[in-house]
Amino acid sequence: MTSATIRLDDVTKTFDGRVLAVDGVTLDIAAGEFFSLLGPSGCGKTTSLRMIAGFERPDSGRVHVAGQDITDVAVHKRDMGMVFQSYALFPHRTVAENVAFGLRMREVPKPDIERRVKAALAQVALTGLEERKPGQLSGGQQQRVALARALVVEPPVLLCDEPLGALDRKLRQQMQFELKELQKRLGVTLVFVTHDQEEALAMSDRIAVMNHGKVEQVGAPTEIYERPRTRFVADFIGEINILEEGGRARALRPEKIRLVSDGARVSGTVETANFLGGSTLLRVSTADGRSLLVRETHAGERASRAPGDAIGLAWNDSDAIVLER
Amino acid sequence: MNTGCNKRPFDAGRATYLTLNGLLLAFLLAPIAIVLVFALNPTPYISFPPVGVSLRWFEKFFRSPEFMNALFLSLWVAGCVLVLSIVIGGACALALARGNLPGRSFLTAFFMSPLMLPAILTGLALFQSYLLAGIGRPVWGLILAHTLVAVPYVIRTTLAVLHNFDRRIEEAAAVLGASPTRVFFEVTLPLIRPGVFAGGVFAFIVSFDQFPVSLFLVVPKGETLPVVLFNYMKFDLDGAIAAASMVSILLALSVVLVLERLIGLKAYVKL
Amino acid sequence: MISRRTVLGTGAVAAATLAAPSILHAQTKTLKITTWGGKWGEIMKATVLPAFEKEFKCTVQADQAFPFVPKLQASPKNDPIYDVLHTNSNEQWNCLVEGLVMPKITAKEVPNVADVYPYAVSDKIVGVSIFTSAIGLGYRTDKGLAKPTSWKDLADPKLAGVRGGYIIPVNSLGQCHLMMLGKVYGKGLQDLDAAYKALEQLKPIKLVDFTGQMEKMLLSGEVIEGVIHDSGVYRYDGQNQPVDFASPSEGVLALEQVLNVTPGSKLKELAFGYIDYMLRPDVQKLLAEGVWYSPSNKKVKLDAKYDAKLLTTEAKVATLIQPDWKWYNARKEDIDARVTKILKG
Repeated sequence: MTSATIRLDDVTKTFDGRVLAVDGVTLDIAAGEFFSLLGPSGCGKTTSLRMIAGFERPDSGRVHVAGQDITDVAVHKRDMGMVFQSYALFPHRTVAENVAFGLRMREVPKPDIERRVKAALAQVALTGLEERKPGQLSGGQQQRVALARALVVEPPVLLCDEPLGALDRKLRQQMQFELKELQKRLGVTLVFVTHDQEEALAMSDRIAVMNHGKVEQVGAPTEIYERPRTRFVADFIGEINILEEGGRARALRPEKIRLVSDGARVSGTVETANFLGGSTLLRVSTADGRSLLVRETHAGERASRAPGDAIGLAWNDSDAIVLER
Repeated sequence: MNTGCNKRPFDAGRATYLTLNGLLLAFLLAPIAIVLVFALNPTPYISFPPVGVSLRWFEKFFRSPEFMNALFLSLWVAGCVLVLSIVIGGACALALARGNLPGRSFLTAFFMSPLMLPAILTGLALFQSYLLAGIGRPVWGLILAHTLVAVPYVIRTTLAVLHNFDRRIEEAAAVLGASPTRVFFEVTLPLIRPGVFAGGVFAFIVSFDQFPVSLFLVVPKGETLPVVLFNYMKFDLDGAIAAASMVSILLALSVVLVLERLIGLKAYVKL
Repeated sequence: MISRRTVLGTGAVAAATLAAPSILHAQTKTLKITTWGGKWGEIMKATVLPAFEKEFKCTVQADQAFPFVPKLQASPKNDPIYDVLHTNSNEQWNCLVEGLVMPKITAKEVPNVADVYPYAVSDKIVGVSIFTSAIGLGYRTDKGLAKPTSWKDLADPKLAGVRGGYIIPVNSLGQCHLMMLGKVYGKGLQDLDAAYKALEQLKPIKLVDFTGQMEKMLLSGEVIEGVIHDSGVYRYDGQNQPVDFASPSEGVLALEQVLNVTPGSKLKELAFGYIDYMLRPDVQKLLAEGVWYSPSNKKVKLDAKYDAKLLTTEAKVATLIQPDWKWYNARKEDIDARVTKILKG
């Protein structure tokens, strides 16, 4: 399967002439990359995706795929695959007809259609359900049909708009693995829109964190997590402590704080202790009047910090990352 | 299914529910039963108990060239109205739901207005307009008039379907390579079809049973069945009227059944 | 090679062919009339109108679909939808007020008017009455009732619930009956107070919209004595139905079949010709014997069976009472409100 680069070049989109949905976004997505657009609702991630798909036309800026400017190309001529949160299967057609749709539009000969539909359904483990209607399938099965339908045309680009959002937690995790595995096997460029930071961290090669129509930071999951550039990114991804020191903000992950009996930077009292399985998250009020989150990992025996316990806290200066704003 | 229902000896709620439904059904069907008795009774007036069973009124109805001409005219008009209102009503509903038209609520009210206007006024107004325009009263004028009052039904049922329509389904088709035209015929039309056809059934029946609008717009020797029946009743009140009513009811029913077979009644039940 | 002359010739023929239908159309006038349905309509369509069309070299478009007057009102006055309006007398009076019909028709326009009984062109008539029925009492002959002799017989307590009348606001027979109550119980046709009082005494009474329903009520026995016109009873002659018609001694009311011409008609001459034709003795005889209407033309000689029952002599015609519809129509709203209140209880 081929894959293609995607470039958004200073793209802006307003709705109703007022709301600035996407504000000067520039992104370069490599061929074969699993790229996530991550952010809260209304941040412009879905609008950006819809501009790549061609459902929205940017007010200014250009969209390039595989080096070609496709800003003015109609949706149906862009040769992409897309998976929607609501699956958007054709309810009046069977599973096989759904999957065959894109091939039929491309006027692929009938025997080839049958063969490729069969292969695509096998790929998503749905063999035997060809004649069912979407209404007769479970949510997970529908999502697989949607995936097969998008991939059967072998698009160089696959766009996913919160595709796993409607699934329950267990199924979602399973699908995350499958989707990632499939994407790597096929080598397709995948743009993945989500508001779920865990999902983005788990699956992506790179993530663009968006807020108020702008890209706050682009980077690999570890980079985004460990070296957040802005307060928004630091705050949005995982638990964080923001330390204000000398007019500068520093971000300190709870797991970077150690519990010490000697050489404590600051002492404090445990307010709450939330047991999370692999770790316990403590909320500690410090002697200098701050409230800090501290993650205590359990290696071997279970720790037994309880509210009211007096503790000492320490961390390395290099772990407290200076934020831009 | 509530399986506990069978175990309980008596469920007051359910009994009330069934009784009310039975009463409602009886209320709706009783007039048809009376018409049937009248149609089969050989005397030229309603008599209880009926003195016998005879098909003489059906024979009179089917042998009368006036009734037959009227019946075929009504069927022809209703058929044309069905087709026209499906096309016009479907298009209007799409435009109203999708068209980003300015003053959409006003336009919706405008298209629905024939429902609110007393039909007799619609008929009278069109009669005057046709005469002033010098068109006279051609059959297509009658068809247009019926279409005018039938279109809102199609708009209503189609809008109901469009209201719950997930537009991502159309987008999915477009991404897969379907041009706007193909999206319409491959996806949009099949999905709104139940609503359009449900409206079409209403349109057919509205036209076939139409009396007030037709009253002014039919011409001598070109009268629809309801108008002929009304005038027949003024001079000959006999069982032929009842026979004609039974035939009308059966025809309307068969249209509903045929369309049900073609597109499935489940689709309307959701409306 | 096609010569210039051929082309011209072909063109001329083509033009003539194209023009022909419109010339034909212009020559064949279409007379637009209203007429009744039922048996009357059958005779008109089968015999009377085809003969008229042949003789007058025209076509007739006969509208049998009610309501005639609203359609006439709604059509342009200078190009009315009808040339000849056939209605009962009361509607003609309404039309006259609005200028939709001619006030009078005389022997000058319609020569056969010279031969009609005076009632047909009396001051109670707008246009000309070509037939009349007599409104009296219909009754069952198998229920031990004596043949009614007076309008007062309808008030017999034995008839409670089985006497029949009309919904007065919508039926001219009911209106006639109300006026007759004024005459029988009070000072005259216009004594409404006496009429209202007498109407009150007729309750309980079965009310119907139109005469066809009254016929069926009499046939089924739901009503055993009721107000009806003679033709509504005589039409069952020979069908072994136990019903008969009685003319009360106080007189019968006239239910006239009136023809009139619309002032805006573009075919007035033909319209008058049609009315004249309808007054011809042979046409009158055919229709009179078909539907049991009394002919207006004095010269009509009916078969004995019909002659015995219909109003075919000066003496019998003298029993006809013609209501003053101009007077009644002017008060109709008040009367409607009052009788509705009386009959509601």
